[in-house]
Amino acid sequence: MHFENIAEGVRLCAQSTDKFKTCHINISMAMPLDSNAAARAILPFILQRRCAKYPDYITLNRVLDELYGATVSAGVLKRGESQILSFNLTAIDDRFALGGDTVALECVQLLCDMIFDPLKDGNSFPADIIEQEKRLLIEAIENEMNDKRRYALMRCEELMFRDEAYSINRLGTVEDVKRLTPDDIYYAWEEELREAVVQITMVGSMDVKPVVDMLKERFSAIDRKPATIKTQFITAEPKPDYICEEMPIKQGKLVMGFRTGMRDEDDNSVAMRIATDIFGGGTYSKLFSVVREKMSLCYYCSAALFSSKGIVMVQSGIEDANEEKAKTEIINQLSLVADGEFSDDDFSSSIKSITDSIISNNDTPESICAWYSTQLFRDSLKTPEEYVEEIKTVDRQQVIAAAKTIRLDTVFMLKSNGEVAEDED
Amino acid sequence: MKINEIRNELLGEMYYDIDHPSGLKILIMPKAGYASTYAIFATKYGSIDTMIEMKDGTFREIPEGTAHFLEHKLFESEDLDAFERFAKTGASANAYTSFDRTGYLFSCSDNFKENLEILLDFVQNPYFTQATVEKEQGIIGQEIDMYKDIPDWEVMFNCLRNMYHNLPVRIDIAGTQESIAQITADMLYDCYHNFYNLNNMVLAVAGNTTVEEVLEVADRVLKPVEGKMAQRKIIDEPREVRSDYCEKKLSVATPQFMLGFKEEWDTPKRTAKEEITMEILLDMISGPSTDLYKRLFDADLINGNFGFEYFTGFGYSCVLFAGESNDPKKVSEEVKKEIKRFRENGFDEKVFERTKKKLYGRMIMGMNDVDGLANNMAVSYFAGEDVFTDFETYKTVTVEDIKEMLDKTLDERYSTLSVIMPN
Repeated sequence: MHFENIAEGVRLCAQSTDKFKTCHINISMAMPLDSNAAARAILPFILQRRCAKYPDYITLNRVLDELYGATVSAGVLKRGESQILSFNLTAIDDRFALGGDTVALECVQLLCDMIFDPLKDGNSFPADIIEQEKRLLIEAIENEMNDKRRYALMRCEELMFRDEAYSINRLGTVEDVKRLTPDDIYYAWEEELREAVVQITMVGSMDVKPVVDMLKERFSAIDRKPATIKTQFITAEPKPDYICEEMPIKQGKLVMGFRTGMRDEDDNSVAMRIATDIFGGGTYSKLFSVVREKMSLCYYCSAALFSSKGIVMVQSGIEDANEEKAKTEIINQLSLVADGEFSDDDFSSSIKSITDSIISNNDTPESICAWYSTQLFRDSLKTPEEYVEEIKTVDRQQVIAAAKTIRLDTVFMLKSNGEVAEDED
Repeated sequence: MKINEIRNELLGEMYYDIDHPSGLKILIMPKAGYASTYAIFATKYGSIDTMIEMKDGTFREIPEGTAHFLEHKLFESEDLDAFERFAKTGASANAYTSFDRTGYLFSCSDNFKENLEILLDFVQNPYFTQATVEKEQGIIGQEIDMYKDIPDWEVMFNCLRNMYHNLPVRIDIAGTQESIAQITADMLYDCYHNFYNLNNMVLAVAGNTTVEEVLEVADRVLKPVEGKMAQRKIIDEPREVRSDYCEKKLSVATPQFMLGFKEEWDTPKRTAKEEITMEILLDMISGPSTDLYKRLFDADLINGNFGFEYFTGFGYSCVLFAGESNDPKKVSEEVKKEIKRFRENGFDEKVFERTKKKLYGRMIMGMNDVDGLANNMAVSYFAGEDVFTDFETYKTVTVEDIKEMLDKTLDERYSTLSVIMPN
């Protein structure tokens, strides 16, 4: 892995390998998650569909088709209390280009054009484009309710973190988007280039040097002042909140939000990861083997640790009538982990499974990019192998101690309101 | 034992194609530099197989969702179930049932031989009891209910149900609460013995492994069985769609739609060339670089989720356009108009070449991951092809093939529109 500073707060990680048939680049730009979320969230979508050189997406798509179907995808992520604009480029490796074309570098050039040289109207963005992109972003926000599993998690987060920045939707709200003007968005774009903490991850066989030169040149035109991004880590209230909402749905969605007591992203995070995994990770976990397999209550019931915020979220899809039974059992299973009621086999299954999946990250360009881009805020980056070494140092007692600090904070239940259309057929 | 090497020089890839004495086809692609290995053990038995052939050659009907139910239950055993065994090795194991196959799989970066042994062993050793079948009805019941709330799933099955009168592709893969209630342990054994015979199956492995490693385990664990490839019954289906429009209300923000064009062919399966020709045709009519796409997008009729699929398998083939729109009927009209325009005006050779170039790149980009490679090897084998067939076939497609394909398909008299409206 090659690391290089491109500009202040801009780091490149490049893995040179011909193991894959592609060249893959991820650019992640992080800013604090705050009330200006909508203005930033709309940026990647504006930028990915056009640029000064190719002013509409049909022209741009045709250029990508000519570049052997290279793809550029953009998205917005939330990590802790940061909002990350993420751009992904995939192109074929130059060795497969016909007639000696150099596809990869041309694609990187194109990606830079999109981010740094957008289609402008003076010192703003064209009004018609902004109108169209606002319509699309509003639809995207409204359509978040379509996936009930994700929607229930999102609602739980909004309620559980109502006094923290973490409750802010990574895409902003419909009202925020409606209010945006082309000037607001243009300002957000300039601010993003100036202040975002940036990591660029590259995987492929191409030369790193010309890419570094290209990126350095682009950033040198910007007076960089990287933002400070902090996430609040707080402990659970003594009495958990309970909120229930109704919708016209068939299956109920139960979300239970726990706080782990972690004080920052690295605080005891490896032991916490193992504790969460034994509680509700793989098929050997308590939640899978008891709540699903023994009690037949659900098709899925699992726990996930979000170390960037120090929380554990449990999710399950259940019949409304089984809510109490499921909740009681989930809480009971967590206390069993905290009491050390798991076998040495369970402990070693968890270590092996986590280790296996971390090592497998080396085998796709997407997962290599994800591995490093999620370490955006670290001063020094860990390889998957280094992380596995850390896992091996954790013992049972540390896992038990970690589980003891996990406290229930909020329960959110999405229930049926009784109005579900039955199939005619 | 016959071991063939299947190569593609341009891609620099090769894999071994082995007729194992047990009757099983084994495909192995060793990948240098990879840490992990992915293996899939699959049978040609999916949700469309709603009939079992009896000894006298007649067919008996089985409840909808049985293939999927069997997939869940095969993990169980008299002592340690398969998940418990995989937990000891660290592998990540799973299974899936699709319209035309069931696959059991694992991926691992350590203990490969041990994992392969577990996989081959548990799939060959069914253990069903009435008590465990009843327990599973609760779990799968929740899985069925979960899908009822997923709009993309509902819009698709409503479309298929409206298109087909008789073909079993119109039924839900997991079945219904009522159909799974009829499943018994004996029924599962009957289906198992009919479809889970090594002659009807394939093992595909890609990643950090060798032929020797795979065969060492296979030779030891595979038990030769009497039997033959299970026969699929050809089911009569009228040319017409059942209905040209259907609507359902679900909790969604923007209406969702799927527009389907039913096809009729003399043979039950589409060839690789027919499938690729159709992919190019559809991309030229409605892909993200087309005039139609731009018109719909700029008129606020679609968003970035608009796309198409050539949906084919044994006995069925249709074209599906899907997306989110505040006016699905208008989108449907526009797509039909554009198809007519292409029929009248023909195809631009330059656009055709560009589309092929894109397809070439996309095929290469799809060959990185061991899970994708192993699954493709298995699927290609069931289709009577190899993993590089598409890669060679696309070169032979001409603009005349595209025209001919359009002449035979996308007939709006046989189309249907399925819509999910917000409630």
